[in-house]
Amino acid sequence: MTGKRLATGGRIDRNRPLRFTFDGRGYTGFAGDTLASALLANGVRTVARSFKYHRPRGVVTAGVEEPAALVELLGPDASGNRQATTVPLTEGLAARSVNCWPSPRFDLGAVVQLAARAIPAGFYYKTFKWPGWALYAPAIRRAAGLASAPDHPPQGVYETRHAHCDLLVAGAGPAGLMAALVAARAGLRVVLADEGVEAGGALLSRDLLIDGAPARDWVAAVVAELAAAPLVTHLQQASVWGYREHNYLMVTETAPDRPGLTARGWRVRAGHVITATGALERGIAFAENDRPGVMLAGSVQTYLHRNAVAPWRRAVVFTNNNSAYAAAADLAAAGIVVAAIIDSRDQVPEDARARVAGLPLRAGHVVTRVLGRAGLRGVCVASPDGAEARIDCDLLAVSGGWNPSVHLWSQARGTLRYDADLAAFLPDRAVENVTAAGAAAGALGLPDALASGAEVGARVAGLPAPAVPQASDLPYAITPLWQVAHPRGKAFVDLQNDVTVADVELALREGYADVELVKRYTTAGMGLDQGKTGNVTVIGTLAQAQGRAPGEVGTTTFRAPWTPVAFGAIAGQRDGPLALPWRETPVTRWNIDRGAMMYEAGARWRRPGYFPATPDEPMAEAIARECRAVRFGVGVYDGSPLAKFEIKGPDAAAFLDHLYTNRMSSLKPRRGRYGLMLTDDGLILDDGVCFRLDAARWLVSGSTGHAEALHRHLEYQRQTSRPGWRVFITPVTEQWANATICGPQARAVMQALGCDFDLSAQAFPFMQLREGHVAGLPARVLRVSFTGELSYEVNVAPRHLPALWQQVMGAGAPHGILPVGSEANHVLRVEKGFLSLAHEVDGTADPHDLGLGWVMAQAKPDHLGQRAVAIRRAGGGVRRELVGVIPEGDTPLPEGAPLTPGGQRVASEGFITACVRSVVQDRWLGLALLDNGHARHGETAHVRLQGGQVIPVRVAAPIHYDPEGERLRS
Amino acid sequence: MRYDVTITPLPTMALFDLKGRAEALRDWAGAALPPFPDRPNSACGDGQGILMWLGPEHWILRADLDREQALEATLRPAEAPPDLSIVRVSDTLAFFRITGPEADAILAIACPLDLHPTRFGPDGASFTRAFGVSALVAQYTEGFDLAVARSYAPMLTRALAEAAG
Amino acid sequence: MLLIPCPFCGPRDESEFICGGPVRPPRPDPAQTSDADWTDWLIQAPNPVGPVQEHWWHARGCGVWLTLWRDTRSHEIVAGASDDG
Repeated sequence: MTGKRLATGGRIDRNRPLRFTFDGRGYTGFAGDTLASALLANGVRTVARSFKYHRPRGVVTAGVEEPAALVELLGPDASGNRQATTVPLTEGLAARSVNCWPSPRFDLGAVVQLAARAIPAGFYYKTFKWPGWALYAPAIRRAAGLASAPDHPPQGVYETRHAHCDLLVAGAGPAGLMAALVAARAGLRVVLADEGVEAGGALLSRDLLIDGAPARDWVAAVVAELAAAPLVTHLQQASVWGYREHNYLMVTETAPDRPGLTARGWRVRAGHVITATGALERGIAFAENDRPGVMLAGSVQTYLHRNAVAPWRRAVVFTNNNSAYAAAADLAAAGIVVAAIIDSRDQVPEDARARVAGLPLRAGHVVTRVLGRAGLRGVCVASPDGAEARIDCDLLAVSGGWNPSVHLWSQARGTLRYDADLAAFLPDRAVENVTAAGAAAGALGLPDALASGAEVGARVAGLPAPAVPQASDLPYAITPLWQVAHPRGKAFVDLQNDVTVADVELALREGYADVELVKRYTTAGMGLDQGKTGNVTVIGTLAQAQGRAPGEVGTTTFRAPWTPVAFGAIAGQRDGPLALPWRETPVTRWNIDRGAMMYEAGARWRRPGYFPATPDEPMAEAIARECRAVRFGVGVYDGSPLAKFEIKGPDAAAFLDHLYTNRMSSLKPRRGRYGLMLTDDGLILDDGVCFRLDAARWLVSGSTGHAEALHRHLEYQRQTSRPGWRVFITPVTEQWANATICGPQARAVMQALGCDFDLSAQAFPFMQLREGHVAGLPARVLRVSFTGELSYEVNVAPRHLPALWQQVMGAGAPHGILPVGSEANHVLRVEKGFLSLAHEVDGTADPHDLGLGWVMAQAKPDHLGQRAVAIRRAGGGVRRELVGVIPEGDTPLPEGAPLTPGGQRVASEGFITACVRSVVQDRWLGLALLDNGHARHGETAHVRLQGGQVIPVRVAAPIHYDPEGERLRS
Repeated sequence: MRYDVTITPLPTMALFDLKGRAEALRDWAGAALPPFPDRPNSACGDGQGILMWLGPEHWILRADLDREQALEATLRPAEAPPDLSIVRVSDTLAFFRITGPEADAILAIACPLDLHPTRFGPDGASFTRAFGVSALVAQYTEGFDLAVARSYAPMLTRALAEAAG
Repeated sequence: MLLIPCPFCGPRDESEFICGGPVRPPRPDPAQTSDADWTDWLIQAPNPVGPVQEHWWHARGCGVWLTLWRDTRSHEIVAGASDDG
């Protein structure tokens, strides 16, 4: 390491060496290093190979804009395509290069460079199109591309949280700190988020004074004051990466203040946003400008000042603006020979000249070409008259000017304008409550940035701008230079995606004149760096080629994320079992202990599918056993998740008549009726039973999976469609859990449980309700049936269900009671031809199609859906109608299998909605929706399977068992 | 623990859903109800129970479970006049108490509400969304009560434990 | 992520709401409306570039079905909410 580190200075801790490996070799850096600075300090120049051409690449920048130094992090938190400039060095860090084998210095894939002249933009898509791109894509994608995906899921622990503030300041450079300070002093709730390891922004990379003291002293004082302010949340290593509607911002904090937390995603709702996001330096396109050793000048300053890294002996500075003069001065001060300052401007401002007094300056010159492959050896420089000369160097520090970071501003749909003096795009008109400040607003010198931050912060607080600290800086001045033409070599505008000036020119020749089209054709700016260093160079190159101003060319759309984000930091805790959480009934635990196969059965309820008697009992046998229990003995089903609502009010009866197709107002207390609810387009929303509890109160039940949709519908109708009606709707799904006791022995079980009301069929017939006690527990008992058997739905408070359940199992034991899962329930309802949402009720069927014309009350003047059904019916046409199907040859039919005329390969005339193994008929039977099905009972229809196999089925009425319903009324 | 909080599942409480005009409810229930809160999404207690104003013409009365029978007898849901609705909903919500100096951090993870003392007062109570599902948040001394549908109680137990670390 | 003005709760996160789509004209009297007009009412929903009146349900909140005017170009909510439809 000797000779590559400065003896003093920098934000590194020389007492804390950190060991790390890169491509299998061990190195040492210091706390405070990034992986990039540590690699530079160890003399590693080639860090990666490029995306398309496998060219050697080194570190170009010192931050999130890095286009070239991409690495793959190894270990438990492996991740690919990480910018070495944004990875803080940690003890034991292991990384490797992307896109090269066996090593970045000797990369076999680099043979592609031999043919590079033949691989311009669009080459692959133009060349590999016969017989099909898919044939070539795998091989090309292996050769191109960057890191490989980790082979195991991330191990990190993530959190997401919400925050609310009066002001969010994005960026803790001089302007952001100033704005946050002014707002904090005014008593605003402030969130200050900055992506750097520490606050200060560009101040950390430069040697500037504020109020006569080093700028970092001012930074420390401001940070301390903000830390003491109770309403300020100050986050570092926190990238504000997304700006969404109504000032909702996404922030990812990669080093949260809690042990064990990998990253934290913040969703911040801000009254106002200040984008103090600074500016990023851009390059200049000239031949071979991607060689390791070509860096941006401002980033060189960062390595000198922040990391005390100076692995260079002899530097050339190439610029079109003043900022690089400070870099040249800093290089010289660090003891590095500045061989030349090459300024493309003929006239160099006097203050810039004064900054580098004594250093060789060549005004009106340009760098035309870089010499050396894996390591820079020198540059070719052309004088105004075209004469070329070679200058030896191991560093070329380039500055093509500064682009205010307008990404967040633009994500918020703020407009931009091109400023010819700054040769950059600046924020113009805001759409959201957002203001740009500091360099992000074009205030590129320190005094202006401080004043801008103070002014904007005060404006948000509603105060006059306060005095700002004294500072001085070399004023910014630029004469844009986008590219240097040269007959040989590649001049890159996008290092990450290997896009050159020639590619942009090719796109223009092929007719892609718009900047968005050029982007898509060349892929410039589409890497994970989002073209931060190159996009404006592309625009400038386009403008020059088209003879337009860059402002006329315009920018491409800025989209989130500003920096790459780990999925975990977006998902937070919503991972694994919390991503789609189960809901449990009071007997879910009992079911699991009983060995039930549990799965989701609508609206996230976790319910038993079936109960294997032994762990290896086949599913079909278990289901058949449960079905037989219900048909010939007794079973108990946990119907707790059934959607339930209590409806009350002076207008409740009229309301229900409006929503249901049939009349509910005529029900007497304690009596119920099956009903259908349609939407006004005439399609079925839900089915269920409706009971009248007393004169003004009703109990409406609906499908488990439709509880929320039904609630929404009921409230929508109440509040928007019938706002004058006095109706109250209270969801009680979770207030009433139930044990549904069903089967010929159900009454005997109820009697054994003990009820304080008469259970006889005469006293408590089908479709009635009793309130009283069952087994000593307060209960609401409904005589309804979804199985076709005698059935008591015993509703109790959930806290009582486990006790009731135990008693039911005990009382039912002499009758061989079995718990019944949803699979058996499905078989039993198909045998009876009862409907199931998402099976028969598929979003196109109307009640007549399903044989439920009888629920369409003709006498009612109006109900939801009535008119639409009438119009559709009057229009004629073929309807798909519900039928029973009995497969010839007793074979199962897949749900959803199409029915086609004669089983031919033609348009379908229906499909199988359900098919089960019936225990009462001991054969396969099913239900189907079939064109004109009602008129086709007795005919043979044909199921056509994938692969062409045809199964003939006999069409029948959709009731395979007890068509008169004697059993359920018994 | 990542955060300095205590998370305690609360026992089932007596809850009654009240709908209708405040005067009508007051006339019917008389002294059984605490004073009605004067602001939306706030609560008012009388030592025996807490009345939370959670929606237009919508309140929830909360009391200890041992008062459920007495309240039911006083409120008489089945006999209440048609223009007001009283429904016992004690079992619909599972409550968790989150206390400690960093209770607000757990709530910020759970829900999008702005719970800063300047926005959500010491009597604050509101329905919102927590960990993706409907939830009720109520301010409690040195912390919050957070409730979700009882069927989601296992989910909330896990989510709160993971949030607290 | 919109910030939706709820007439009962004040401004709340969009994540607490379910969008109910654009507000259509009041439901006509079926006895006084032709088939064609009924079908138009049923099917033709407003879909402007610019302000559109929408229903939102505060499903994870106070339960109000509110209406608001949202500019489809900017998401700006251009008029306050009202709970009377």
